[in-house]
Amino acid sequence: MNDYSLITLEILAVIVGLGALMVDLWIPASARRALGYGTAAALGCLLAFAAGSLSPQAGLGFHNTFVVDDLARYFKTFFLFGAFVVVLMTVDFAPKIGSGLSEFYALVCFALVGMLFAASANDLVMLFVSLELITVTFYVLNSFQRGRIASLEAGIKYLILGAVASGFMVFGIALVFGSANSTNFGVIASRQAELAHSTVFLTGLLLVLVGLGFKIAAFPFQAWAPDVYQGSPAPATAFLAVGSKAAGFVLLVRLVTQAVPQIAAEWNRLLVVMAAGTIAYGSLCALPQRNLKRLMGYSSIANAGYLLLGVVAMSTSGSTAVLYYLGGYFFTVLAAFTVICAIAEHVEGDDIANLAGLGQRSPFLAAALSIAFVSLAGIPPMVGFFGKVLLLRAVFEGAAAHPSFYLLIAVAVVGVVLSLYYYFGVIRSIYWGANPSSLAPISTSLGTKVALAACIGGIVFLGVAPSSLLKIADQAVQPKSATAAAQHAAAH
Amino acid sequence: MNVGLQHYLIVSGLLFSLGLLGVVVRRNLLVIFMGLELMLNAANLSLVAFSRYNANLDGQVMVFFIITVAAAEVAVGLALIVALYRKRQTAHVEDLTTLKL
Repeated sequence: MNDYSLITLEILAVIVGLGALMVDLWIPASARRALGYGTAAALGCLLAFAAGSLSPQAGLGFHNTFVVDDLARYFKTFFLFGAFVVVLMTVDFAPKIGSGLSEFYALVCFALVGMLFAASANDLVMLFVSLELITVTFYVLNSFQRGRIASLEAGIKYLILGAVASGFMVFGIALVFGSANSTNFGVIASRQAELAHSTVFLTGLLLVLVGLGFKIAAFPFQAWAPDVYQGSPAPATAFLAVGSKAAGFVLLVRLVTQAVPQIAAEWNRLLVVMAAGTIAYGSLCALPQRNLKRLMGYSSIANAGYLLLGVVAMSTSGSTAVLYYLGGYFFTVLAAFTVICAIAEHVEGDDIANLAGLGQRSPFLAAALSIAFVSLAGIPPMVGFFGKVLLLRAVFEGAAAHPSFYLLIAVAVVGVVLSLYYYFGVIRSIYWGANPSSLAPISTSLGTKVALAACIGGIVFLGVAPSSLLKIADQAVQPKSATAAAQHAAAH
Repeated sequence: MNVGLQHYLIVSGLLFSLGLLGVVVRRNLLVIFMGLELMLNAANLSLVAFSRYNANLDGQVMVFFIITVAAAEVAVGLALIVALYRKRQTAHVEDLTTLKL
């Protein structure tokens, strides 16, 4: 049954992307700025509608490959918000991108479509196609500054490693299909007991996890992240950091909690090693970093590790914590990158030392960047603090049954302490950095102000009143009787 | 000799390993790219074989998706390699050393 009302948001996002391409043909080059604001406004409308009247009805469609439930809606809202802010920050970054600006906006929209589909994927085929839509789009976005060798290099590194990861994933899907005779999550879930003894199925599942591990930059598939984050244009990095990672996590959460919960529970030792390794690698390597975007790359690895804590816990509270932390992560990282884009014209290079004097040049941007890093470091009352508490609590609840969880908690706490050092290094540079190269004031555009106000509002509001988002996140991870029944019916 | 499912799977596994070996060992971006294509096609072969022996056509549909995605990947990838070559006159991974600590 094809119910196109389920994919209204996806269709509209494609139309916005195509519209950006078309409109560019008729407007003069001087109106490029308006094109960016227009795209952002269109995405903003989608976001407003997605939260309200346009919110798709819950249901399964397209031969059970596409599901709309609270989990999907939760992530779709955040993906739309991410794309909205990324387009706004691109407006300020535009001079650095040069030609092909409308294509950049269009590609952001197409990557967004991939993420929207990923949030609803209920089948390994849909999972693969949506992930590839995201990945192939990011090959282009990451290397968008063709004239900069660093950007090209970032694109090629992402291309090679991303393609290897999709190779593993495709082979894994082939093995899963061969042993389960289906790629549907519902069917796989209903046959878990017999499949748990099939070596072919388990190998296939492991290879699919490799592909997802690459997307979220989890140890040992994290090698690409620092280089790609450093070399890519800042708006592309921002979208990669929030959107691509969140898409990986929504697929991971859906796969682990809905398709193969029993097998994943048996594999928790593997996941513990993965989470601990990711946190340790990200935190230790971030310590000596002097480049702001590269630091964000390592920080993103460490944060993938914290998010994995919630997956390791294999409980409703763990999934809730993942959703809540990702929500906060969207606001925090987008705020940081909006500032990076806004100062790109005025501050030479990405070195942390070059942030010196920002506190005097633009108190607003300096405060926004500081709030973002304070939240990333997990200081109350910001959203990052509460998210980390929830994740650690979820792991702690399961620790009685799995002693290895205590070790994981210890690694996570050490990681948080180390993160204080490198995040506060940035803040120190902003306010107390020596030898500022210039003290000329930096003006902020309207788009940046809107984006930053939304992000900072989110960081502070969710930190002070976490229950608002927590309630929605909690509802999103509850097993739904309607969807479960539909999946059950599909299985027979 | 009767050719069965496991024969196809062994060939597919070999192809996959050869592709991966190519990616890991070779230093030229174009050859690495060929290795990547080999990995994807190994998966295609096993999907078709599973599809045939399980009498379930879903696997063959998946192959179409993979071929399409691989084509898109090649289009973007080759464009990137050409752009790099124009800039650096090289397509070797040893020369990709701009991004470091």
